[in-house]
Amino acid sequence: MATLLNMPAIVADATDAVLHAWMIPVGAPFSAGDALAEIETEKATVELEAETAGRIAHVLVDSGTSVPVGAPIAVVAAEGDDAAEIQRVLASATTAASSTAGTVAPDGPGPETVPGSVPEGAGAALAAAPESEQAPRLFASPLARRLAKEAGVDLDALRGSGPSGRIIRSDVERAIGQRQASAASSTARPAAQTQPEPPTLVTDGEAGERIPLTRMRQTIARRLTESKTQVPHFYLSAEVRMDELLALRAELNASGGQKITVNDLVVRAIALALAEVPQANVSWGGDHLVQHRTSDVSVAIATEGGLFTPVVRGAESRSIGAVSADIADFARRAQDGKIRPEELVGGSFSVSNLGMYGTREFSAILNPPQAGILAVGAAEPRAVVREGEIEVATMMTCTLSADHRAIDGAVAAQLLRAFQRRMEQPLSVLR
Amino acid sequence: MSESTPLSPDVSWVELRTTSADWDRADPELLRTMLVQMQLIRAFEERVLELAGAGLVHGPAHSSIGQEGGAVGSAVTLRPGDGVNGTHRGHHQFLAKGLAYLARDRGGMMGLTDPIDGPTQAFLERTLAEILGLEPGFSRGRGGSMHLQWLEAGALGTNAIVGGGVPLAAGNAWAQRQAAAAADPRDADVTLSYFGDGATNIGSALETMNLAAAWKLPMAFFIENNLYAVSTHISEVTAEARLSGRGPGFGIRSWRVDGMDPLAVHLATQEALAHMRRGDGPAVIEAEVYRYFHQNGPFPGSAFGYRPKDEERSWRDRDPIQRVIAELTSRGHLTAEEVDEMTEIVSAACSAAVAALTEQDPEQKPGVRRIRPELWPDPSFVDVGVRGDLSELAGARTEEAESFAGELAERKFIDVVAEVMHARMSTDERIVVLGEDVHRLKGGTNGATKGLRDAYPDRVLGTPISENAFVGLGGGIAMDGRYKPVVEFMYADFMWVAADQLFNQVGKARHMFGGSGTMPFVLRSKVALGTGYGSQHSMDPAGVFATQPGWRIVAPSTPFDYVGLMNAALELDDPVVVLEHVDLYASTGVGPVADLDYQTPFGRAAIRRAGEEVTVLTYLAMVQPALAAAEDAALDAEVIDLRWLDRASLDWDTIGASIRKTGNVLIAEQGALGASYGSWLADEIHRRFFDYLDQPVQRVTGGEASPSISRVLERAAYAHTEEVAAGLARVATNIAR
Repeated sequence: MATLLNMPAIVADATDAVLHAWMIPVGAPFSAGDALAEIETEKATVELEAETAGRIAHVLVDSGTSVPVGAPIAVVAAEGDDAAEIQRVLASATTAASSTAGTVAPDGPGPETVPGSVPEGAGAALAAAPESEQAPRLFASPLARRLAKEAGVDLDALRGSGPSGRIIRSDVERAIGQRQASAASSTARPAAQTQPEPPTLVTDGEAGERIPLTRMRQTIARRLTESKTQVPHFYLSAEVRMDELLALRAELNASGGQKITVNDLVVRAIALALAEVPQANVSWGGDHLVQHRTSDVSVAIATEGGLFTPVVRGAESRSIGAVSADIADFARRAQDGKIRPEELVGGSFSVSNLGMYGTREFSAILNPPQAGILAVGAAEPRAVVREGEIEVATMMTCTLSADHRAIDGAVAAQLLRAFQRRMEQPLSVLR
Repeated sequence: MSESTPLSPDVSWVELRTTSADWDRADPELLRTMLVQMQLIRAFEERVLELAGAGLVHGPAHSSIGQEGGAVGSAVTLRPGDGVNGTHRGHHQFLAKGLAYLARDRGGMMGLTDPIDGPTQAFLERTLAEILGLEPGFSRGRGGSMHLQWLEAGALGTNAIVGGGVPLAAGNAWAQRQAAAAADPRDADVTLSYFGDGATNIGSALETMNLAAAWKLPMAFFIENNLYAVSTHISEVTAEARLSGRGPGFGIRSWRVDGMDPLAVHLATQEALAHMRRGDGPAVIEAEVYRYFHQNGPFPGSAFGYRPKDEERSWRDRDPIQRVIAELTSRGHLTAEEVDEMTEIVSAACSAAVAALTEQDPEQKPGVRRIRPELWPDPSFVDVGVRGDLSELAGARTEEAESFAGELAERKFIDVVAEVMHARMSTDERIVVLGEDVHRLKGGTNGATKGLRDAYPDRVLGTPISENAFVGLGGGIAMDGRYKPVVEFMYADFMWVAADQLFNQVGKARHMFGGSGTMPFVLRSKVALGTGYGSQHSMDPAGVFATQPGWRIVAPSTPFDYVGLMNAALELDDPVVVLEHVDLYASTGVGPVADLDYQTPFGRAAIRRAGEEVTVLTYLAMVQPALAAAEDAALDAEVIDLRWLDRASLDWDTIGASIRKTGNVLIAEQGALGASYGSWLADEIHRRFFDYLDQPVQRVTGGEASPSISRVLERAAYAHTEEVAAGLARVATNIAR
């Protein structure tokens, strides 16, 4: 029996995904497990595998199209399906699509009303009508459409300044410029620290080169803009004395096996701190808070293709070796683009570490709905005052960014204090 | 009481009838040759009708059966250098001229017993192939029955426009006379233009009679009067049904003759040939003939009710073939057996031609034939040869003003127009200039041909006011190829008067006849917008020419470019219209002082002003207004002077690069909306550059109506700086600027 193939929910909170490319041509048979198409989400490109054998009878979505999750993308025929069967399924696909469009508004007043007047109640119905009708046709110049497509700008979000509201080139360029401006101001993520482009778009030539945005870059731009502009950030810094932790790390690494990094220890320490201060292990849900039971820490990994934030799950209850192995594995696979989508979702807290670049300290932008992110600077010898004496110690500045909607200052301070204590008494990190 | 003195034409008009003594005196070999040719034509035409009946002739098959005496009697003694052309009913004339050419080494004679040699058989097959629209045909199947051309044999091309070939024949005759002037002025080659009674009443034939007589061209207007224009009898459409009577009024010596008597046709033609060859001017020969069948197809005219059967019978009783057989037989020059044998041979030759091109249809019952499939032209040939391959421009020296090494100065445009023509006429003796008043008024109405008549008296020709005739004459000169015509239109609007010659003949000839010929025709066409000459003298013809296949269009906006574009136009083997504008005539601009020997690079536009925000495409006299408007515009405009306007010469590279940069296009032209140049260009731009456009291509044109005489109404009717400025403002508004 022919069936509809729907856009899968590859990432839990995604509402849509891009059908990047069909890998099986129309009409060609495939076996269970064959890759049918590449699906590009905001986080990664994955292969959509066939669950059973069959052949693609009709492609409903062209390559490169963004499709709502759950929408039909192809008609898959099984052996023995005839044209009528395929047509039946094809027809159901169209019905499925149009049924989501909702009811059609009434044509106008009923027969007994006076022409020209609107009966009571009809106003409400008419006013409600546009919402349930299909979206009005969008007018955009061909050039604007092309530029928007290249830059990943959503034309629906733009207001056209051309005749009759036509979206024109300058509207798209303005949108691109705004996006770049906000992306450039972000300091949270290494990938966002590339040279910001000038706010006005240049054409190829002496002034510079136009580089089309990847989907990942578009996503980073959009989400960080939302976060920085919509989430009330506040920041707390602490200086962590690292001498003991570094000594312990040297001992651990001297015994051979997996090399433990400072970052591994930071992740483990913040995971334990979150377990210790559970009021800080929360996410903002709009009209509710989500209390996390485990410490799932997103670790930012920069690659040439962009930034990945895979999640080390349950880091508070796993050994430093297991956490370290997870992070090393993520780092390796991130370079190859092999991070699985499910590994990218669901973190309750993030760690961003620029210490290896010599950055002394920085503050990061939250990754909603997470309520906290720890920005970790470089460990370096500094003059410190201890018991009235100046001495040299290895210090590391960490800055916690918190969502004030979910976490108050005292709670954030408690979390940071718990983290600092564990870092400075590193045996507690190993437990 | 006033006195009336009878007047008579200055030339003779005679009816020539043969006597028995003429037949006694006639060379039997000549008569036998005419017999063979007539029989061969008839057998050929019968095969064509059979093929038409079998559905194998696509389009009409205009049978000449019954009219063989006129064609053979007139063409049998023609020389290879003589030319003929004809109309839609032209198989017999084409065959007669071809047979005479093939027999040139035998004094034009064809024997009764061995009439079909190899070349003759091949000629029959090639002719039939063309009629059937097949690749082996003379024009590779493009021309078909109505466009038969074999230039080598002097068959200049038959014509589907009634009377359309007559002006072209005059051009051929002009070239023949010009060539004879240098050799033997008393022995010119001549051109016979065959046409029917119907064509006798059309302007191009009558205009050409006047022109040919005025210029004493060696051409014959050979009227095959078969009494019917399709179904309309000649008596219904003219008060002087003796059609040779047209001649004397134009001062043309004229003969009337019985076309069913091939000897009479021959004798009249001999007198006319002598008259023409010695330079005494054209001739009219009217031969009364009869087509046994209807206009086309295998049925007699009586089957369609427009003439009685006994009329057809009475003409068949005077059949030209039977007449010659009877005269020869009665004098002991021919036997019935010889006739039977010859008829058999000729019939077999025609059957062989059919067999070479057709075969048994494998899917039909025995006897049903089809075209041999391998003989159809390749469909990819469809547009090949609309124009030439530009090889004639190879190695040309090209110049742009910016990099010109010669001396430049501020030059008056009109002076450069005359100077470059002077320069070319001095280096190229083939160039001949013709048009109304080009030889007087110190260089025509605007001075464009100043000094040329004095320098080249036989190559600067003031024409009668007969645009169709002198354009066609130019076309005939160009097709001949020995000379290169430069035709001037005093006003561009006269294009419509000469439309048949410009577009059906000159523009289509290269392609229609198979793509192997050339058409080095230059038309100088003056645009006079703004001079107060009103509705019928104020068009910009670029838009119309752009729609017509074959034509190249150049539009020089500076004296420097005029020189380069005119030189390129004169070098091209395609018809080229050089647009000129009275506003520019009076203007000055950068031009060469002495070096007039360069061309403008083929197909290259000029960026007159670089800009980033809107591409303004314009040409000719709108370049300066566009530049003026650009200076004050809200947008940074890039103004491109197109220079080469036709679709095959347009500079898409420059246009494309600009559009990709700006995303906005304004096409600015001066003339009326309807036939505007920008319409096709906008269409093409939308399809080529859709994804680069930020708004629809905007256009500046004049109004719908043609400009009026009244100064204010005229100004309101065409576009200039203010309208371009408004157009630029519209472009700006559309992108919210």
